[in-house]
Amino acid sequence: MESQIELSFEDIRGKQCAKLIRFIGDLDATNIEFVLEKVCNLINEGIVNIIADFKQLRYVNSTGLGILLHFSKTAREKGGCFKIANINENVYEIIEIIGATTLLEIYDDLDEATAALT
Amino acid sequence: MTTQRMEIDIQEVPGAEGVAILHFSGDLISESVRRINECFSAVGKKGKTYAIVDMTEVSLISSAALGEFMGCRKRLIEQHGDLVFSGLDLEMRTKLNLMGATKIFRIYTDIRTALNSYKWEIERQPEKIHVSFPPYLKIVPPLRQLVSRIARQKGYGNRDSFRIETIVDEICNNAVEHGKPGADDLIDLSVIIDPDKIEIDVRNMSDPDKVASLTALLLPENAEVDKLKPDVKRGRGLTLIKMLSDKLSVECTDRGTSVRVKKVREE
Repeated sequence: MESQIELSFEDIRGKQCAKLIRFIGDLDATNIEFVLEKVCNLINEGIVNIIADFKQLRYVNSTGLGILLHFSKTAREKGGCFKIANINENVYEIIEIIGATTLLEIYDDLDEATAALT
Repeated sequence: MTTQRMEIDIQEVPGAEGVAILHFSGDLISESVRRINECFSAVGKKGKTYAIVDMTEVSLISSAALGEFMGCRKRLIEQHGDLVFSGLDLEMRTKLNLMGATKIFRIYTDIRTALNSYKWEIERQPEKIHVSFPPYLKIVPPLRQLVSRIARQKGYGNRDSFRIETIVDEICNNAVEHGKPGADDLIDLSVIIDPDKIEIDVRNMSDPDKVASLTALLLPENAEVDKLKPDVKRGRGLTLIKMLSDKLSVECTDRGTSVRVKKVREE
């Protein structure tokens, strides 16, 4: 009965040490360990520039938001970034209420997020 | 082809004084119009303003009979009531659709659904949900989605429903995570949804050490605790609940800890 979350990984053309991760489903307390492991492995392998596509991320709770902040912090510490694009308005509101919009790099769409990659 | 004589059985509903259930059977043809009219007059004299017309046993309805139902409905609406149909089979529903009646009448699959709608819309009775569940995180997602869907079904908007889903999720997760270690006591989730607000109550047997920190978080001076620390993965749930709801209270007794939230409908 865990929430369903799927992650798919794609290279970003012309960008080194970078991946696009598409989040599909709900991110909550039942699946953060899975997401944490997948994304941290990627960062530890040197893929430190990450764009998270939230187009199909329906839901995120406070625990899910906690790991997004963790990814952002970890990527920055390794000289990279964790950028979020295509966020739906309900999920954005949760991030906004927690006051994390200033801590996370949020872009309207993938083109904007990709252009902001160094 | 012989016609089947129309029969009408009028049923009153205990606890719903304004409602009459009218069980029609047979063929509702032009010759039936007068009896339909008399039947609704009798119902009106008893002070019933909400008529549920049960069509389960009806084999035919003519445009004249349908026109009479429209007239009766108009009179009931003038008295702040309604006339609704229930129990239509597919053939009858298709016929009503072709006659344009489905745009006028509300049609319910069964009497119970029609009655629930009356209690919600006319009497404004709240919908109550109570679930007892073991303290496992994996049970929370279907629960939060269930409450959110019911809220949406009851007319709450997308934004309100999403906020309700978040509140239920965060409170239930807290109850699971802050429960007494080793205890298998069930967690009680009670939800009361009415047209203007939703009240959520989650009760569990909490770890006494964690109750103190929980109540401390409710103090105004601690409202912003930890919410902006990027290295903290957890602990923002209560902040989120406070921001999304209109009232939040925690009560600790020897029967457990109860977290109560009131959320006023915005959309």
